[in-house]
Amino acid sequence: MKNILEIRNLSHAYDQAGSIIKDFNFSLKKGEIVSILGPSGIGKTTLLRIVAGLEDVMDGEVIISEKVASKKNFLLPPEKRNLGLVVEDRALFPHLNIEKNVMFGISHIQERESLAQEYLSLFKVADLSKKYPHEISAGQQQRVAFARALITNPDILLLDEPFGALDKNLKEELHEETKKIFKNKDLSVLLVTHDEEEAKYFSDRIIEFQEDKIFIR
Amino acid sequence: MRSSKIFSVWHGIPLFILLFFLAPILIILSSVFADYSENWSHIYEYVLGDYILNSFILVSGVSLLVMIIGSLTAWLVSNYQFFGKRFFEWGLILPLAIPPYILAYTFTGLFDSYGTMNEIARSLFNLEQNEMLFPNIRNIYGAIIVFSFTLYPYVYLICRTAFLNQSRSMFEVGRTLGLSQASIFLKLALPLVRPALIAGTMIVAMETLSDFGAVDHFAISTFTTGIFRTWYGMYDLTTAMQLASMLLIFITFCLVIERTSRKNANYSTIGSNFKPIQVIRLGSLGSFVCFFVCFIPIFIGFILPILEILNWSLRFNTSFFNEQFFSISLNTVLLSILSAILCTFIAMIINFSIRYKNSSVIKSINPFLNIGYAVPGLILAVGIVQLFVFLDNNILNFFEGYFLTGSLFGLIFAYIIKSYALANSTYEAGYQKISQTIDDSARVLKSTGLNLLFRVHFPILKTSFFTSLLLVTSEVVKELPATLILRPFNFETLAVSTYIYASEERMVEAAAPATAIILIGLIPIFFISQMIRASRLEKS
Repeated sequence: MKNILEIRNLSHAYDQAGSIIKDFNFSLKKGEIVSILGPSGIGKTTLLRIVAGLEDVMDGEVIISEKVASKKNFLLPPEKRNLGLVVEDRALFPHLNIEKNVMFGISHIQERESLAQEYLSLFKVADLSKKYPHEISAGQQQRVAFARALITNPDILLLDEPFGALDKNLKEELHEETKKIFKNKDLSVLLVTHDEEEAKYFSDRIIEFQEDKIFIR
Repeated sequence: MRSSKIFSVWHGIPLFILLFFLAPILIILSSVFADYSENWSHIYEYVLGDYILNSFILVSGVSLLVMIIGSLTAWLVSNYQFFGKRFFEWGLILPLAIPPYILAYTFTGLFDSYGTMNEIARSLFNLEQNEMLFPNIRNIYGAIIVFSFTLYPYVYLICRTAFLNQSRSMFEVGRTLGLSQASIFLKLALPLVRPALIAGTMIVAMETLSDFGAVDHFAISTFTTGIFRTWYGMYDLTTAMQLASMLLIFITFCLVIERTSRKNANYSTIGSNFKPIQVIRLGSLGSFVCFFVCFIPIFIGFILPILEILNWSLRFNTSFFNEQFFSISLNTVLLSILSAILCTFIAMIINFSIRYKNSSVIKSINPFLNIGYAVPGLILAVGIVQLFVFLDNNILNFFEGYFLTGSLFGLIFAYIIKSYALANSTYEAGYQKISQTIDDSARVLKSTGLNLLFRVHFPILKTSFFTSLLLVTSEVVKELPATLILRPFNFETLAVSTYIYASEERMVEAAAPATAIILIGLIPIFFISQMIRASRLEKS
């Protein structure tokens, strides 16, 4: 199975003081779900932002769909990487209703409304389409965020603690539903989490970030 | 296929704007390298100390008062339900319609030994003709009161927007941790709106430093009166510009300190899980106290001067509301709206560029763009005239005669430079409340550049946009010194008209344009406070 994402000898630091990520190598296969596990401040989110093209790399390469996306002094911008991104605070656009939030990335497509309804139904929030983000619950917002990310049919879905703000029951419910959807759609997923149970349940593989060490399970 | 660090149009636009903003100021600063005349030695030896001390006392006093009045009133109307709250929400902006020089004129009319208030006091309490109930207002303390009660709305507006955008859950957590309502204000809400508070106060401080009309009327020696006296009294433009340069260097220093102090502060509270604050209904005593606290600033900054202007108007006939008056009013309205739109768009583009490119180059440009606000209007005007003469003679010389010099371009240019800090501060405060993840998500969803600006940022920052329009329009209507110098031949605005009448001691005739300035200042205040309310209701 071919690699959809490859990271080669990646090094990155916020300042000259020291590397937050040092000489990191990693690959993600098509349809694979991989978790990056580790405590806060260890560089998990930075890694995700580098893959998304939201941060430059200091050294090494990021290869997406067999094309170099990032290397020193070179950055393919995020909008050209065909990725999906879901973050802990959902980042729904507060001025747009749920349907318009989901259609945001496909505004150039003629069938956007029917497609939006399809994805809202998939995540069981079709009846909320005319509501605004502040009018719905955190769990519902997270479902909308997933629908918005998936509707663009991304090559890789990047998840940054997407279930972090949810209670245990809701988290478990969403785990089950989203994993099923990801597997059905054969999505490649990179999940950043500090929750070991979540990582174990969700992933085909776990990369564990610790002080100065990286373990692959 | 590029590095995010490379130069783009989003770097180019701010640099281009910076070039134009700085050109007249650099012309002024270049005077530092000119020869220093005997007048400079005289000023340095005898009066410079007074200029510095008085300017310092004035700015410190005004800053302290506006911080207290602006933040306290903004907190009360954002968090409590009390008698008159709906009126105070927009009523507290009313003093913005009255420029300090008009308040100074009316305060002397009210509180001078033979002013209206002392006359009333004498007749009420049977006092002797030489007895005064109200103290003399023509001093530095009077000036502090005048500036504070006309300028506090800058702090109020920015703090109110910031308070309304704070999340309810934060205060609820504070209550569960044992904080009283007063402690929540002092320990949670106020520190969290610190950037807004500093931004608003900085604007007030710069406005105070650059004012001439009010301090001159009260005969206080400050930097600006010194600059004017040197120019018009000693006819020494170079020394006046050298004094102005000192003031500019001081202001630049303040701006750098202010920027550095809040560089690392991220006060983002709005996310998509934002819960609006819950308004607390007060009992009779609490309601009365809130009413009183909010009423006092409006009474001193708006009602009193209006009553005095009405008093002047009613004593005489109203024949001065003639065709010429309406033509002058139209000039003022068109000019102020056009300048406000241009200035707001420039501030929007600059702040978007900073956010979008996250570039230290663009970030370092912005404080320099702000400096125009503190440049005394007449000095800025001289810089612009000299710049335009240079451009007309050397670049635009294919036009017959002067194209830029003596045209409305100069006036609009001066208004934009002087008002940019206002527009910028509202956008900065707005941007601090948009989480970075909103941008990240939009970019991953292929929204970049202008698309990101107009589909995401512009709608979210609607309140900032309208607040900026309000502040700039109101500022331009009132702007006096730059207008006096830069207006085209035979082109009058209301401020110029007021000044001419007042300087000829024809206060009764000055009442008409002064009233118009206040009325025009009220229109955007009314509409935009409605829009701020509507956008608030949409959220809640």
